[in-house]
Parts: sequence; C-alpha cells; structure tokens
Amino acid sequence: MPVDHHQIENFLYREARLMDEHAYDEWLSLWAEDLLYWVPCNEDDIDPQRHVSIIYDTRPFLEDRIERLKSGVAYAQEPKSRLRRVVSNIEIEEGDNGEVTVYSNFNLTELRRSRQDTFAGRTIHKLRPQGASFKITYKKVLLVNNDEVIDNLTFLI
Amino acid sequence: MATPQAGIDYDALVKEDRVHGSVYAEPRIFAEEMERIFHRGWVYVGHAGEIPEPGDFRLKKIGQQSVIMVRGEDGQVRLLMNRCRHRANTVCQVERGNAKTFRCAYHGWTYRNNGDLSAVTYQDGYDASFHKEDYGLSPVPRMDMYRGFIFGSLSPAGITLDEHLGQPAKEQLDLFVDLSPAGELDVTAGVHKYGYRGNWKFQLENGMDGYHPNFVHQTFFTAVQKRTGLKLDLFTSHSTGLTRDLGNGHVMLDSREYNKTNSHLLRAALPTMPGGDDYKEAMVQRYGHERAEEILTAGGTHMLVFPNLILIGVQIRVVQPISESETQVFLYPTLLKGVAPAMNIGRLRGHEAFFGPAGKGAVDDLEMFERNQAGLSARVDPWLLLSRGMQRERRDVDGTLIAQMTDEVTQRGIWRQWKKMMVQGGEGSVRRQLRASGRAAQTAH
Repeated sequence: MPVDHHQIENFLYREARLMDEHAYDEWLSLWAEDLLYWVPCNEDDIDPQRHVSIIYDTRPFLEDRIERLKSGVAYAQEPKSRLRRVVSNIEIEEGDNGEVTVYSNFNLTELRRSRQDTFAGRTIHKLRPQGASFKITYKKVLLVNNDEVIDNLTFLI
Repeated sequence: MATPQAGIDYDALVKEDRVHGSVYAEPRIFAEEMERIFHRGWVYVGHAGEIPEPGDFRLKKIGQQSVIMVRGEDGQVRLLMNRCRHRANTVCQVERGNAKTFRCAYHGWTYRNNGDLSAVTYQDGYDASFHKEDYGLSPVPRMDMYRGFIFGSLSPAGITLDEHLGQPAKEQLDLFVDLSPAGELDVTAGVHKYGYRGNWKFQLENGMDGYHPNFVHQTFFTAVQKRTGLKLDLFTSHSTGLTRDLGNGHVMLDSREYNKTNSHLLRAALPTMPGGDDYKEAMVQRYGHERAEEILTAGGTHMLVFPNLILIGVQIRVVQPISESETQVFLYPTLLKGVAPAMNIGRLRGHEAFFGPAGKGAVDDLEMFERNQAGLSARVDPWLLLSRGMQRERRDVDGTLIAQMTDEVTQRGIWRQWKKMMVQGGEGSVRRQLRASGRAAQTAH
C-alpha cells in the first residue's frame, strides 16, 4: 500500500498543535507503548549510553513527565509557556510494514514571563501504522542550540 | 546601604541569623565578589577526567576570565590564560577539542599546548631583546589538584589548596570519587547547561538546602513514590539526615545516617542491580570490607566546595556568575571507571530524569531563583532569614558544625566564608593593599 504523504503531514501538524496547546493526554496518546523520546545534548550524534541527553524518555519516564506537567505544581511551567511552532521541510522515507521515518524542521516561538525565545531544530519521527492513523515509536529532536545554555525546556518540544 | 563612593560595610549586611537583600542585587557588590572571591581565592576550574589524552582541552572560566584547561604532550595538566601575549586576542575559540597548538588568528603567533610560544610571524621585526621564552601563554598564577578536581587561583600568594579544602571536605571528595572501584572518574559524558535570571548565591544556598525539596520537588517525589512505593522522607523534620558545615564555606547535606536504615539507596539496591554483585566485590577488593561499606552507604556526597563547585548525585556542578542577576550552571554527570556499562547508563538516566533544562526537578529550582530575585525588589523589610535550627546546632566529634537536615547550618556556613573574604578583601598583601586603597578613595571623596 503506498504511503499517503498528506496523512503523515497532517499527523505531524496535529502533534505540533497538541504540544503548542499543552494537550498533554492527547499528545501522549499519539505514542506507541515501546517508545523512545530523545533530545541529544551537546551534539546531534552522541552515544546516549555514554553521553548525557537533554531528554531520554522511555514510556515510564514520559508518563512521569506528563503527570508532572498536569500536576499544577511543576513550577517551571507555572505559568505555562505560550507556544506556536511551524513544522516544515517534511521528507518521508518508507520502511517495512508501512512504517515510515519522517524528517522535518521546526521553528518554535516561546513566550513566558514577558520573555520571548526562539527554538529551532530538526525532528526525526518513526511512525508505525495503527488503525487509520499512526503511533510514534521514536522521536529524536536535534535542537540547534543543544550545546548552549537553555534556561527552561519543560514545555513539549 | 552605603553611598557609591564609600566602602561597603559587609559586617552590617551579613549577620549570623540574616542577610541583607542587597548582597544578591547590588552590581557593586557583585564586582567586589568577582575581585575578592573569584579573582583571588581558589576557584574550581574542571576535572582531569575531562581531558584524559595529551592535547585534550576545555575552555573554562575563573570568575570572568577565560582560561584554557589543557593536557600537554607531556601529560601535564595546565591552566593557561586564553589571551595572546601580542595583542590580547583569544587563542582558543571552541569549548572543547584536542590540539597540539593554539594559534592566534590575528597575527599568527602560535603556542604549544604547554603554553610555550613556538612561532612569531616575521620575527625579524623585533630586536635582540625579544625572547620567545618570555611570551608564552600566561599560566594561571596558582593551580593545584585534589583527586582530579582542578582548582586555580589568580593570586600568586595565599593559602594552599590543601588549607582551603581542609580535611572534612577532602573526605567528601574522596567518597564521590571512590565509588569507582578504580578510584577514578570519567568526565567525558558531556554537560547540561542552564541558566537563570538570579544571583549565583541562590544556587549555592539552594543546592545545600534540605528544607525545600518536599515543596519545590513535590512532583518528582510523588512520581518516585507512585512508581516504586518508596517514601522519600530524607527531607523532613524527623529525618536522621544532617546539615553539616565542613569549614571555609564548604557545606553539605549529610544523609549517611539516614542511608543506613533506608532501603532505596545504592548499597541496598546493589543485589538487584545488573552487575551489582560484581561491583560490590570489586569495591571490597580495592578498599577492604569496612571502607567499601562506608563508601557505598554514603553513595557519593552532596556538598558545596566554596565558591563554585557542587557535587550532587553523580554530577559535578559548576556555578558561573554572569552578573548580580544572571547565572549559568554547568552539570557534568560523571561515569565510574572500572564498572559495567549498565551501571554508568543507570547513572546517566537517573541524572537526566531530574536535572538539565528538561529535567523534572532542577528547573523548578531555577524558577524559585527567578521569583527570589524578583522578590528582592520589595524592600520594606530587606532581610532574608538564616536562623533555622540555630538553637539546636552542635559540634560533631570531628569538630564540624551539624544540625537537623532541614536546618540552615549550611547557609550560615556559606555566608560566614563569604563575609570573611569580602571583609578581608582577599589574602595577605593584597588585603593590606586593598585596605590602603580603600582609605585613599574615602579620603579623596
């Protein structure tokens, strides 16, 4: 079955909107059970088993992250960041069994406590078909500033 | 507050049980801190484990001055000022790497990685009195090392590093490093970098504050308890943990007594850890049964080495003041030499869960620091309290001052050292010079 590029793009746009709007549970529901959510630190291509990452979440870690953000006492997100991001430059690589690897760029504006910041980067998604849609099995975010001082990255990226 | 021209009366700003808010907010006090604490006393620069190979270097700072920490071809670690001796250009532009030479791009002066000036472009333009040997990269006036922790002092004279650290603090550094059955750390696992709009001393005080975790880090403890069933009561008023003043501004949260009776910590977790038994055996082999027990019960340390080094969990944390209201913090999770990879992976994952800009703990502290800095703008009552537990602090058998885990023994220890350095204005002749120039300035006014 040929891959429907339009459907994949819509999936990414929806994911971006859920992150922007802090729709934590809905965003978590996009993920597969066996997930890896990875934001490398210092360099894009590190070995996460011997180099620290900014985020290296398997499912229990990601669930804790979401629980925390929903608690009302995760102070780094109280008040919450206002977020809007653009996802673009999408390239799709087809794999086996309908699985796809999707490369995209994002540009994110964050506003919190009257300070506006910009984050940009490249994202690699691995999506597994499930029913009429997909589940994210793997997401790696290559932040442009992953070797710089970052004050607060507690919103969803 | 003093007028801009007069000397600042630090005795009036720092009392045993309280500090005046201006110590976190006054640009002039910050400038004096840089001179008297960071540009004169011993400052932590980096760890030898960051630069294991000849030519390995890291760009660091002592206070506000750029320093290259480099291992020469001869295997020696050096601290060199990052400033060409010709026209003061920086000779090193990148934060990390490996280099045989540092070449100034401006006019091509080239230095070996031991600091020697090896080549001067068109040297015939200088007369016979010019000798290359006189123009190597300037070394930091004093450098010394303890267990791989490298310290520098920009003052050519003063107390030794050994005197600055003192025995109680050295014992804690030992406990941190001796978790490795090889007795050595690998510090090449990268660095988390974050910052906040607040004074650098908030990070010092907070890192050694056993009163805040159950409030600020409630979300983290709730998650741990939900997932593991473990109730973390280390940071409560009935905890057997202690706050401890090790002297010279070095302070710690001491959980060793608590660890003996609580099951979630390293020593008790070993039997169920992958490779845990092998690790314990290697530790006993190296250190003997008794010392191995002591090291494993401590499970590292939780300490501040004044003024800028913090050891918590697996990490080396460096506090870098930028201005009176801006601070950067660098967190280096360490790996242990001589253990199975799974254990080091566990160290990394455990660190990431709480620390770093996207962690589930330390960022909430940063939020507190920013709120704290903002709170200082309200000055009707300008004092911050440090009095918690003063009535119950006492001397331990080794002479260090202790009190209950939620008491402010640690904050008071930090401020005593801060005041001492600020009042004395540094050490020895520098101190006298400063007093003399201070008097001159006041007379002129």
